[in-house]
Amino acid sequence: MTTLLAKRKVAGAAVGNVPRSKNLLSGLLARRWIRGTIIATPILVLLVGFLVIPLSIIIWGSVEGSKLTFSHYVRIFSDETNLSVMLQTLKVGFAVTLLSLLVAYPVAYLLTQIESRALSIVTLFILVPLFTAFLIRTYAWMIILGRQGPINNTLIWLGIIDEPLPLLNTTFGVIVGMVHVLLPMAIFTMYSSMVRIDHNAARAAQILGAKPVQAFFRVYLPLSLPGVFSAGVLMFIISIGFYITPALLGGPRDAMITQLIVTQLTTLLNFEMSFASAFVLLLVTLLILFFASLFIPLEMIWSSSTVENTNRAARSKSQLFSNAKQAMHPALTAVEHLIHLITKPFLTRNARWLWAYTILVLLFLTAPLIVIFMLSFSSSSFVVFPPPGISLQWWEKLLHASDWHESFLFSVKLGAVSAIFATIIGTMGAFWLVRTTLPIKRALFLFSLSPLMVPVIVIATALYMFEARIHLLGSFAGLVIGHVLLSVPYVVVIMAAALRSFDQSLETAAAIHGARPMQVLRLVTLPLLKPALLTAALLAFLTSFDELLITMFMIGRQTLTLPFKFWNDIKYELNPLLSAASAFIVLLVTAAILTTLWIKVRHDRRTSASIGQ
Amino acid sequence: MSTSLEMKKIQKWYGGLHVVRDFDLNVDPGEFVTFLGPSGSGKTTALKMIAGFEQPSGGDIMLGSRSIVDVPPYERGIGMVFQNYALFPHMTVAENVAFPLKVRNVAKAETEQKVRRALELVKMGEYRDRFPNQLSGGQQQRIALARAIVFDPSLLLMDEPLGALDRNLREHMKIEIMRIQKELNMTVVFVTHDQDEALVMSDRIAVINEGRLVQVADSNNLYYNPTNRFVASFVGESNLLPCRVDRIDSGAGKVTIGDHASGVSRLNGQARGDSGWLFVRPEHIDIWPQGAVTDVENVLSGVVESALFLGELTRYVVRCGNESITVKQQNRGQTRFANGTPVSVSWNMGNSTVLN
Repeated sequence: MTTLLAKRKVAGAAVGNVPRSKNLLSGLLARRWIRGTIIATPILVLLVGFLVIPLSIIIWGSVEGSKLTFSHYVRIFSDETNLSVMLQTLKVGFAVTLLSLLVAYPVAYLLTQIESRALSIVTLFILVPLFTAFLIRTYAWMIILGRQGPINNTLIWLGIIDEPLPLLNTTFGVIVGMVHVLLPMAIFTMYSSMVRIDHNAARAAQILGAKPVQAFFRVYLPLSLPGVFSAGVLMFIISIGFYITPALLGGPRDAMITQLIVTQLTTLLNFEMSFASAFVLLLVTLLILFFASLFIPLEMIWSSSTVENTNRAARSKSQLFSNAKQAMHPALTAVEHLIHLITKPFLTRNARWLWAYTILVLLFLTAPLIVIFMLSFSSSSFVVFPPPGISLQWWEKLLHASDWHESFLFSVKLGAVSAIFATIIGTMGAFWLVRTTLPIKRALFLFSLSPLMVPVIVIATALYMFEARIHLLGSFAGLVIGHVLLSVPYVVVIMAAALRSFDQSLETAAAIHGARPMQVLRLVTLPLLKPALLTAALLAFLTSFDELLITMFMIGRQTLTLPFKFWNDIKYELNPLLSAASAFIVLLVTAAILTTLWIKVRHDRRTSASIGQ
Repeated sequence: MSTSLEMKKIQKWYGGLHVVRDFDLNVDPGEFVTFLGPSGSGKTTALKMIAGFEQPSGGDIMLGSRSIVDVPPYERGIGMVFQNYALFPHMTVAENVAFPLKVRNVAKAETEQKVRRALELVKMGEYRDRFPNQLSGGQQQRIALARAIVFDPSLLLMDEPLGALDRNLREHMKIEIMRIQKELNMTVVFVTHDQDEALVMSDRIAVINEGRLVQVADSNNLYYNPTNRFVASFVGESNLLPCRVDRIDSGAGKVTIGDHASGVSRLNGQARGDSGWLFVRPEHIDIWPQGAVTDVENVLSGVVESALFLGELTRYVVRCGNESITVKQQNRGQTRFANGTPVSVSWNMGNSTVLN
């Protein structure tokens, strides 16, 4: 009895000994709205202060402020050249979207079918191109499509043509380059929603008598359409806001609206005109998103895992539509039978044709990287493919090129600082959006993704004007803000998904065993979120590391970042030194991806083993 | 409409793994056959081969008089209920059920009539315009069943269809499925790892272990006359005591149980001198105060190690030498034996079999 009392005393003393500061902190954190405010502030400040306000400023500027003149808008739509640029933008956007969807769909389908080891190998082949800078990939296409590039050389060697075909500086070149850039994204966006379709549904259709073609058209395809549609919207809004690829691969007649904005802003110094063009681009993008939101939940486009699986869209199907379908049925069946007869010989059980096709697509995705690698060992001092001989001269040059080293180090520094800030701000934002009870949660989640909805060129323009006003332009901080703004949405998406699948009873368990709120966070929550944090940070780093447009506008007189240095050199001259630098970056990116995958696999294995699966 | 199914020497290899070995099974028209086995025993693989989702590595499958191993699933004319139902989420209940008819180009009026009949059969007529995710698990199950039978399939496959339902619903659906099967006189192959389902529903049960058919028999025979130690221990509770056959007397064997006790038992093909396992169900064993029984062939004496009161019966564990014997005694007001009481346990020769 006495020992029991003594024990109780000790326990009481221990509780009494908790330092006051911690009590104060815990007390603060215990209040829900204070906690909510603290974690919401950084992301809201970032989004409102550096996106909403700058955008309002340029929109205001496009009508010359209180003058409220719409003359610049009139000029955009009356001027023959401007109008054709608009049309060209939409045309290329459509073509690129359609092509990437068509090419990506079978690959995404195959990814849902294969077992995990094959999946991680194929995924790696898609991830490496995805995270290799747009600029590097575009540079590779400049070589491949060039007058003396591998395509023309092969065709001449085969005797099919006598003169090199003009592939570079054509719409064809732009489309090929952009499809290459967008394809990995298209595959992953579709895969992430297709993977949740129950494969037994297609199986059930077959055993119930549907031929493979019918099972596909009537069951699988309709179920996968939301994923296809969201990928399509994403492809389209990215492609109409694209700058690098059309600028480098297209000819003068392939100018897109982004180039118009950049020219107005940097060369012609016609600010109001560029604001108006930027606003038109923004408006088109928002219109498309609004249109899309009628059919799918918008957040599905960027993070399919957040969407509850409902078929509200299917239910609102109008009577007219289903009547039309009914009338079409005999024709539909006939077409299905025809396709069935044609495809039957190809539909083997182990999906050999699908594999062959996927390997072709992977080849298309990786070929540019391979070309760059081979060129980096060229003995020639020009960009000739295939290289006449092997030498290490370009790698040696790279080893001694101090300007490249400076750019590389500056980019790494910028990327690391941006990634740290983006991860902290984005993670806090994700906690706020997932853990607190908010009245307009969905709208706020979409708002936190807004930097992904506004075309980068528009963000760059707006931020440029804004930072010039508040004297941040040309400073390191100004640059970091731009990069953080672009990478925060990715962090939010990844962390929100991780938090939603997080078992909150683990935190309750920690609390009941005596952990204070900050200890729960440090000892339980964050360690379990480690793989997601790592992925988010890596993605933020790579976003910054590859970024060109914002950098071009914000850099001022600082050291050039790697992409900017690249950009300048490409425009100046194509030389194999660029290949060596690109190859080096590709190696780094691959290593980073492999490390992240490895850490994730290790973490998954450990945590699932402890649960006893 | 119902057809026979015949599996001839079916084999399935996954790489070096032999998951289905020498399957030889005849299912008669209108018969309800259950594949019963632990998870990983190959029962689902066998079902997938009948459905056509997997190609057998060897052997032949006959549906009626035609071999179906080279026929794609959609031409087999088999109905199937999936474990998670696999209802099409983008179609209404009626559209789901009409699906098999639609892909077969059945006329609209006939489709309508058949869909209505199938929905009535599963008592879901008023739900035809709902979407699957607006239904409960049991309702989805019924729709899946309606969809599988609407086109009068020659054979109905069911892959653990009751696994996802709660207990009460499961009992109810068992009866429903049996009713529908009898009403339509359908040939059914049912896969489960739950012995209760198998015993209640099936005409015959095919017990599968490690890819092999270990015994095919009706519920009664499977329970009382297992031919295999695995079946004896997998279906119901049983005592398996090590024994040796000393002498054979007109089909029955004089055996030595454990180290010394002697007994008599039916044999299962063993010869003199063979050792094996003496199988006897706990409910076939009587328990007495020690020495009170003499007129039965098999008597062992021991000490009560535990006695559990389970309501309708009492479950004893009696230690006899090195062996523990489980006894289940119906409670009819007799006195119960406390732990440590010396007792005799006895059973009739006809209730025990020597298994290898």
